[in-house]
Amino acid sequence: MSENRGPRVLPWVVLGTTVALYLGWAMAPASDLYARLMRPHRLVALAAVLKLAYLLAGSVFAFGCRDRLEAGNPARPAWFFLSLGLLSTFVGQLCLAPFQVVRNETPFPSVADIYFLLSYPFIIAALVVLLHAYREAGFPIGSIGERAAIVVGVGVIAALVVLPILRPVALTGGPLLERILTVAYPVLDLLLLVPLALLLRIALRLRGSHAGDVWVLLLGGFVVLCMADIFFAYFQSLGEAHLDPFVHASFLLSYGLIAGGAHRQLQLLKT
Amino acid sequence: MTTSEAVEAMVEVMSPYIGSTMARSATEAHCQKLGIAGGSVSPEQVERLLGKLGGGLNIFLGRDKSASVMADVRRALAAREGPR
Repeated sequence: MSENRGPRVLPWVVLGTTVALYLGWAMAPASDLYARLMRPHRLVALAAVLKLAYLLAGSVFAFGCRDRLEAGNPARPAWFFLSLGLLSTFVGQLCLAPFQVVRNETPFPSVADIYFLLSYPFIIAALVVLLHAYREAGFPIGSIGERAAIVVGVGVIAALVVLPILRPVALTGGPLLERILTVAYPVLDLLLLVPLALLLRIALRLRGSHAGDVWVLLLGGFVVLCMADIFFAYFQSLGEAHLDPFVHASFLLSYGLIAGGAHRQLQLLKT
Repeated sequence: MTTSEAVEAMVEVMSPYIGSTMARSATEAHCQKLGIAGGSVSPEQVERLLGKLGGGLNIFLGRDKSASVMADVRRALAAREGPR
C-alpha cells in the first residue's frame, strides 16, 4: 500500500526553500533574484511573517501535546512549558513584526526583548522536566558522574568556542543595555545547552524510532537557536548588517525544526 | 518462557516507538531492578515488568497508546509461548 507523503513533505520543502533563499541572499546579494525580485525589505518582511507562523504553530502543537497527555503524566508540564516558551517568543516577534514589515527596521533593544528573554526559563524548564520524567521512568540518563562529565564538557566547549566570540561583543562600545542584552542571549543559550546535552544521550538511544524523530527535530532546533543567537550577538555588535541573512536563516530553521518536532510528537500521541 | 525470549519480544514490539537501543536498555534496567535474572521468567514477573515499561512509555506515547503497545507485547509473548 502506498502512502501519500505529499502533505508530510511539503512543510519541509517550504522550510528548506526558505532557508536556502536567505542563505542565497547572504552569499549573492547582488544577483538578479535579490536585486530585482526579492529585495531586502521584502525578505525581512517575509522572514517576520514566517517566524510568526512557525512560532505560533510550534506553540499550538506543543499545547496540543500537553492536552493529549493525561493529567499526572510527568511529560505533560514539559510540553506546557515549551508551549509557553514558544508563545513568549511569538509575542516578542509580534512586537518586532510591524517595524520589519512596514519600515524594514529591527529595533534593538525593544520591548520584544522582554518576551524573548522570558522564553528561556520556560524552555529550560521544559527540558529539565523531561529529563526528570525520563529518570523517574527508569530510562538511562547516565550516572551522576556521566552527567557531571557532560555538564563539564559543555562548559569547556563554551569556554573554548563561545567566550572568544563573545569577548569582542562585550567590549564593543554602545549603550549598556544593548551590550547586556547582546551577551545575555548567548549566555542563556549556554544554559539551555546543558539540559540539551544531557537529553542528547537519550535522543541517541531513541534513533530510528518515532520518539527519536521528535527529538532529532527538537534538539536540532534548539542547537540552531543557540547558533542564531550567537550570530545575532556577533553581527549586531560588530555592525555586520550584511550578514543578517544568516541570522534570519538560522532563526527560521530553528523555529521550523522546533515546530516540526512538536507536530511530530502530536501526531505520535494522536495516532 | 526464558527471560531472554521475553526481553526479545518486548524489545521487538517497543522498537518502532522508542528505538531498539532504548527499548533494550530500558527493559534490561527494569529486569535488573525487579530482580529478574536467570533462565526463566514467571507470568507475575512479566506483568510487573510490563507495568514498569508501560509507565515509561507513557511519557512518549500517553497512557492510552502506551496501554495499547503493552497489549501488543502481551500478544507477542503469548504467540511465542503458544506453539509449546
